[in-house]
Amino acid sequence: MSTMKKLLAVLLALAMIVAMAAACNNGDSGTTTGPNSTGGGEGTTPPATEPAGPTYTITEFDPNAKYTYNDWTTSIAGSWNVHNYQSENSNEIFQYLVDSFYTFAFNDELHPMKDPTRTPFDGYVIIPSMASGMPVDVTAEVAAEHPDWVPEGATSGYAWAIPMREDLYFDTGYHITANSYVEGMKRILDQRLQNYRSTDVYKNTYGIVGAEDYFFQGQENFQSFTDMGTTYEEYIANGGSVDDVFMDIGEFWGIETAEGKTYESITSEVEIRDPAVPEGADEDYVSTKYLWDNYLGPDSVSGYYQAGYVNQYAGTVKSYPADVNYDDVVGFYAKDEYTLVEVFKASCADFTLFYNAIQDSLILVEPDVYDSCIKQNADGTWSSTYMTSKETSPSYGPFSMTEYQTDKLVHYSRNESWYGYHDDVNNVYKDPEDGNVYRLYQTTDIDLQKLDGVATAKNMFLSGELIGYGLQAADMAEYQHSERVFDTPAPTVFFSLLTGNKDGLDAREAAEGFDTTKEDIQTILCPSFRKAFAVSFDRQAYCDETSPSLTPAFGIFGRTIIYDPETAAYYRDTDVAKQALCDFYSIDVSKYASLDEAVDSITGFDPAAAKELYTAAFQESLAAGYITDADNDGKCDQTINIKYAVSNTSINDATQLRLDWYDASLVEATKGTPFEDKVHVVGECVGNTTGEEFADAIKAGTCDLCLAGWNGSAMDPYNLLQAYTWDSYSYAAEWYHPKQDMLTLTLNGETVTMSVYDWAECVNGNDVTVDGKTYNYGTNNADQETRMLILAGIEGKLLQTFTYIPFANNGGKSLLSWKVYYVTDEYNAVMGRGGIAYMKYNYSDAEWADFCAEQINANGKLTY
Amino acid sequence: MIKYVLQRILYMFFVFMIIMFMSFVLIRMLPLPALAPNDPHTEILEIRREALGYNKPYLEQFWIFIKGIVTKWDWGTSEKLYIGRDVWSVFMEKLPATMIVNLYSILWTIPVGIALGVWAALKKNTWVDYTISTLTMVVISVPSFVYAFIIQYLLCFKLRWFPFVMKAGTDYFSWAMFKSIIPPILALSFGVIAGFCRTTRAELTEVLTSEFMLLARTKGLTKTQATVRHALRNCFVVVVPGIFGEFIGIIGGSLIIENIFSIPGVGGLTLAAITNLDYNIFMLSTCFYTAIGLAAGLVVDISYGFIDPRIRMGSKK
Repeated sequence: MSTMKKLLAVLLALAMIVAMAAACNNGDSGTTTGPNSTGGGEGTTPPATEPAGPTYTITEFDPNAKYTYNDWTTSIAGSWNVHNYQSENSNEIFQYLVDSFYTFAFNDELHPMKDPTRTPFDGYVIIPSMASGMPVDVTAEVAAEHPDWVPEGATSGYAWAIPMREDLYFDTGYHITANSYVEGMKRILDQRLQNYRSTDVYKNTYGIVGAEDYFFQGQENFQSFTDMGTTYEEYIANGGSVDDVFMDIGEFWGIETAEGKTYESITSEVEIRDPAVPEGADEDYVSTKYLWDNYLGPDSVSGYYQAGYVNQYAGTVKSYPADVNYDDVVGFYAKDEYTLVEVFKASCADFTLFYNAIQDSLILVEPDVYDSCIKQNADGTWSSTYMTSKETSPSYGPFSMTEYQTDKLVHYSRNESWYGYHDDVNNVYKDPEDGNVYRLYQTTDIDLQKLDGVATAKNMFLSGELIGYGLQAADMAEYQHSERVFDTPAPTVFFSLLTGNKDGLDAREAAEGFDTTKEDIQTILCPSFRKAFAVSFDRQAYCDETSPSLTPAFGIFGRTIIYDPETAAYYRDTDVAKQALCDFYSIDVSKYASLDEAVDSITGFDPAAAKELYTAAFQESLAAGYITDADNDGKCDQTINIKYAVSNTSINDATQLRLDWYDASLVEATKGTPFEDKVHVVGECVGNTTGEEFADAIKAGTCDLCLAGWNGSAMDPYNLLQAYTWDSYSYAAEWYHPKQDMLTLTLNGETVTMSVYDWAECVNGNDVTVDGKTYNYGTNNADQETRMLILAGIEGKLLQTFTYIPFANNGGKSLLSWKVYYVTDEYNAVMGRGGIAYMKYNYSDAEWADFCAEQINANGKLTY
Repeated sequence: MIKYVLQRILYMFFVFMIIMFMSFVLIRMLPLPALAPNDPHTEILEIRREALGYNKPYLEQFWIFIKGIVTKWDWGTSEKLYIGRDVWSVFMEKLPATMIVNLYSILWTIPVGIALGVWAALKKNTWVDYTISTLTMVVISVPSFVYAFIIQYLLCFKLRWFPFVMKAGTDYFSWAMFKSIIPPILALSFGVIAGFCRTTRAELTEVLTSEFMLLARTKGLTKTQATVRHALRNCFVVVVPGIFGEFIGIIGGSLIIENIFSIPGVGGLTLAAITNLDYNIFMLSTCFYTAIGLAAGLVVDISYGFIDPRIRMGSKK
């Protein structure tokens, strides 16, 4: 019995020790009880903060361990003011200091997608973050209170109420409420500061109602027709008056009127001194009316009218009322302490609402710090030092800035006042490997340092001092098969942009010094030449030889362009997109087992076809009189030197490599044709530019070729169409006219013919009337299949211009340190591989130091 | 002498103002980057350009600029690189890193360079001279960034003696900071040592063959006494301006070395300001270096008088 008692006592004591240990345990094996896993999901409203009933336990990370993410960049921004930033470098700095009402999360058991067939971590859902629930449509309510804020009769889609969490704080201790956002809105629209990002609030399609009136109160604002996205002719055709048209004399002449205005009515007869004309000479003083009537206007006496010129320098002026009251004008207000109402200029919902309309992280600032940073400069302008140093960068995101040194380093540490570290609903995920539930952000510190050269970065990476290293071409042989190499595709497609500007080419040939008996350039215009050029290049070889980050591209739209943000589906993976490529590259699908096999067979490189086409081009060019064959030997007498526009003052090694590759490919492709050794590529430096002057050279025909591509619209390929169909954007505006290029499509049994331009407009939600019938295939009016058919049809048409010759998909290959791992290896265009939020660590900093020392002692460097 | 110095300072001021005005006008004459049509931000940029007076006459813009400096020591605000920040504070924040690296560099390169030059001159036409002269030629012919890469690879990566890049922070006189800047100091030093060595050797070789050196020896001075007291002082008339030139280089920095070793200095600031048309940063750095250059020129001129008493500044005779 006594033995039993002793045994019982020992067991009891053991049980108590175990219980105490469990209670005291704060190590990495510790667990925290979590609530119901009901958070998020599309269209669902998760519980505010503390729903009852734990159904899972959260595995906590070791709170005593330090996990530092060591990153590097070639440029650290000098300012990252959310109201005023102008570059992606700034975004790189402030991304950890801000948060948003809603965020993307990987789909898992805790955050499932609607589609039950989806497996965890193969997509994403939108879940509340700083919001306590999904937005509520209050359009009808707002329309009743402010009839002028929403279009007449609208009952949904314009006004949304966002319920906010109550536990939101800046790391300064400032409590964030709905009114904090209103204060932020007032400051971003502060007329004195002329914040760069204010236009995102007042001018965007989904801008805030009344924001423009508040920003410009008491002022007049000139907008050129180009800025307005219209033309002078369209403006007049839509009922605009000539009396309301002004000329931008500030831009045109660099002058202002006696009243200090930089614009003047085109009906004004007030004479202005033309600084370009000597005093006393003819037209030294001219009025804008004189200028318009004689030179600029469509009916000008001289006939010099150029639409592009007019649209750039002419426009309208809008007068804004003075002394407006924010509450009366701006549709952005606090309904109560924790409910923010946003009224948008356009109707939106679902993904558009979350992704395009709500720009909360752009608006919220810590008002006390913000106001202390504003100062007036000697020239009378105002500026702000908000978010230009550690002291002026309050954080309400997962990390606080703890160190900043200009052009050297930024260091972040966990922001303990961030609600997310204590949120058991949304900021958790179920690990697909071990099945445990973890909080986001195992990372405790982030070190971002500026390094100039990849050589330094590589050596530092191999010494364990960096988490990642982007592979260069020279690294491929050594590392391409490493298990730590990750491929990161990008949506941009680089295409060989081939000029088609006949006027420009004619002018070059007519210029002094151009010997047409020895040289020719107009042959570029021959359709067969352009087709031959397109199939002359082995894209795969180019990517292999020049950059591991590139993969061959065959379409206008990249491999990670998402056509349906709700499902994260890629356009290039759809049958219509594949068929469009097969049609363009003349692939007979019936000869293959599947459409996938057919599209996989595309290489874009066909030396035999190229030779036939060059031969045909010879005949075309002869017939057009571009070239000669004086001795009738069947060979072109002239050499065609294709000028490649180099955006620099000199040709660097990488560009020379590209030029040599182009040239060698053309030499090979023209062998045995009338153009043998007659087609070459030569570099032409167009200056060290930060803009698009290199592309301008192609547009104007002063150069013939360059590698270019469009960035952005990764989740809206329809919007990206504007880059090709709007003259103001299009590289080919001078020779390809989408308004005249007709496209016939059969949609839902109806065959419709309209111009490429009109198709692009109506698929973007604009009404287009054809033969008395109005079409609109916008997101709210047509299903995705229909819209994709239009997209594929337009893509085919653009390819047939042989102006945009797809060349390579942008992307990157990088090595990832042994220190960390991704929860999923599958790349997702929206989530990437989860970023820092989902990043897991194999080693803490202390363990990593030991590991590196051991490895380096043994091997001289870390092996990958 | 004082009158001469004051006169030179007055001339300096005029030259400074002329350079300042020319720089101001030339940088403002560069065409501003074209703004993207249809970009909503184009509108706000145009408004901002207007507010900043970019459309005003250059003289008026220059007057506003000068007025700000004179009345408030306000060199303006950065509009591109460090948006919103006072350019003076940015410049002053970056200057110490450049200065400390270059200062450490010249602190040992000048004595070493001169010593090697003296040794080569004294051992003229011996293997010592040939070795030093050959190495000098080789070292001078190779740009400093080549050494930088070699040093970083060997000493930092292979041998792990030093960190890859300069330590972050402003503790410029800590051991950790000093250790982290040894690689850039070495990279900067080789060329300077070679330069001083070559100049010193050439000058000293010539002086050592002078008749007054023979006289000094016949008067009973030892070779060392004659060299130190007479020969070295004479050859310093040429060497000292080089030392002052190096001191100006301290502030100028080295764009490439700073980039390789991630030194947050002023090396590339002027270039970046021109590329980005950040007018105020460009003007501040231009004015700063102009002032330093002019002042250094004056100091060099005055120093001649101290090194060689036969040289008198401002003398009419």
